[in-house]
Amino acid sequence: MDKNFAVRRRRDLIVAAVLAGLAALAPLFIKDVYVQNILILTLMYAALSQSWNILSGYCGQISLGHALYFGIGAYTTELLFTKFGVLPWFGMLAGGVIAAIIAMGLGYPFFRLRGHYFVIATIVIAEIGLLLFQNWEWAGAAMGITIPVRGDSWLKFQFMRSKLPYFYFALALCCLAWFVTWWLEDSKWGFWWRAVKDNPEAAESLGVVVFNSKMGAAAVSAFLVAVGGAFYAQFLAYIDPESVMGFQFSLLMALPAVLGGIGTLWGPVLGAAILIPMTELTRSYIGGSGRGVDLIVYGALIVAISLALPQGLVSLFSRSKAKGATR
Amino acid sequence: MTALLETRGVWQRFGGLVANSDVSISVGRGEIVGLIGPNGAGKSTLFNLIAGVLPPTQGSIWFDGEDVTGLPAAARCQRGVGRTFQVVKSFETMTVIDNVIVGALVRNTVMREARRKAHEVLEFTGLAARADVLASDLVPAEKRRLEVARALATEPKLLLLDEVLTGLTPTEAQTGVALVRKVRDAGITVLMVEHVMEIVMPLVDRAIVLDLGKVLVEGKPADVVRDPKVISAYLGDRHAVSA
Repeated sequence: MDKNFAVRRRRDLIVAAVLAGLAALAPLFIKDVYVQNILILTLMYAALSQSWNILSGYCGQISLGHALYFGIGAYTTELLFTKFGVLPWFGMLAGGVIAAIIAMGLGYPFFRLRGHYFVIATIVIAEIGLLLFQNWEWAGAAMGITIPVRGDSWLKFQFMRSKLPYFYFALALCCLAWFVTWWLEDSKWGFWWRAVKDNPEAAESLGVVVFNSKMGAAAVSAFLVAVGGAFYAQFLAYIDPESVMGFQFSLLMALPAVLGGIGTLWGPVLGAAILIPMTELTRSYIGGSGRGVDLIVYGALIVAISLALPQGLVSLFSRSKAKGATR
Repeated sequence: MTALLETRGVWQRFGGLVANSDVSISVGRGEIVGLIGPNGAGKSTLFNLIAGVLPPTQGSIWFDGEDVTGLPAAARCQRGVGRTFQVVKSFETMTVIDNVIVGALVRNTVMREARRKAHEVLEFTGLAARADVLASDLVPAEKRRLEVARALATEPKLLLLDEVLTGLTPTEAQTGVALVRKVRDAGITVLMVEHVMEIVMPLVDRAIVLDLGKVLVEGKPADVVRDPKVISAYLGDRHAVSA
């Protein structure tokens, strides 16, 4: 009974392990620092998008304010480090926990909103967060925080000579976000989230506490995104409100999932692998004068995808799979 | 033994509209009870009150010896109230088996057990062959059956069926009738709202007729259909006199 299902789950796991293994070997062949940089960002956005996908893809609560949690992760880590000497590893966890608590606190009023109203609320809240940090003197206000970097240290998670440690951390984070999604997909929570997305009233009649399901999804999603924010802050060694909490982060978390396939296991990774290198390349070709051209590219891409393949790029794979299943 | 379900003096007002006024009904264990009445009689509202979609304006609802008036729908499901929706509400992006697993998770926290339970229910409802199909690809009659399957997976003591036999072809309706009997034989009490008299009357043990939000008549199906009050509610006073 259900052998197909178990086989598919195991196959996903094996494919992921192989891909992760190949990615781990990539730096052996790719020595160019610029390309390594693109790889790091791609992995980071894959992880972020995968985390965003938990709340917005599986549970159907579309958030365009996840930059808030990203920024909270970054700021918690750096404030704890620069003001109190707390190591970034602990700061990362603290940032995740704080982001999860804030996500639930915000969810309490906002999960009563439906559809577009919820989306608008998330945008507004993230913008308010940005404004607060821009005016918060103790946290460096608009000037931001420069992280004192003194040589390579795993303890302080900072590296000057090589980017490889950042690469491996980003890869680990991406694997973690993927694995959490994989694990949740075949759990009570995963089923509840999909039910809530498809029809909250029916879900409620089947014993699903809709509100709690949304809260759970928000907490997991925010936690992982905040860990990503902490990583990004360490990677840049400098943060200011716009560079860790700007609206573009909310977009860059949502777009890979939308492009690859929203609410699917592989969508965010696939989307990020296409979108992020493309963004970085257009940026570097066009140079400083063309700021915003990358946004035009995404816009066009999203329109094309939603017209031609509304289920995202992964549907190209699953279509052939579905045919095989009916045979 | 107390009744499984009891509504005591239930009122529901929507603004100036009174959808249910002073409705007191009871459903005994193991019964199939039909809730009938013309359009706008307040059947669906009463269903929603029993299922916990909204609290009544006044009155109380008792289930299995407990006052459940203040409990939300999910909590009532956990206590053993299962329901279907008149307008089907399948989880469209999920497969048939996944739809049913959502229901099975109420009593089975381990995924493997929930999955086994869901397969069992699909066998029982005759949907096993469609397990891996997306719910959005089902034909209407199958969607109705999926509603029943999903509710059964929650292992209810009371199953509320909201017009599951309406709008089906005669063959499909007969399959539906057989399924309802099978459900009762499995020890589940059934309260069903139905329009199609000739299908529902031979099926139910007892019928409750609602009209204008009130209980009009209650009794054996054969007596209920002959009752002049029922005939006049459905067809107008002229027919009642001539009957």
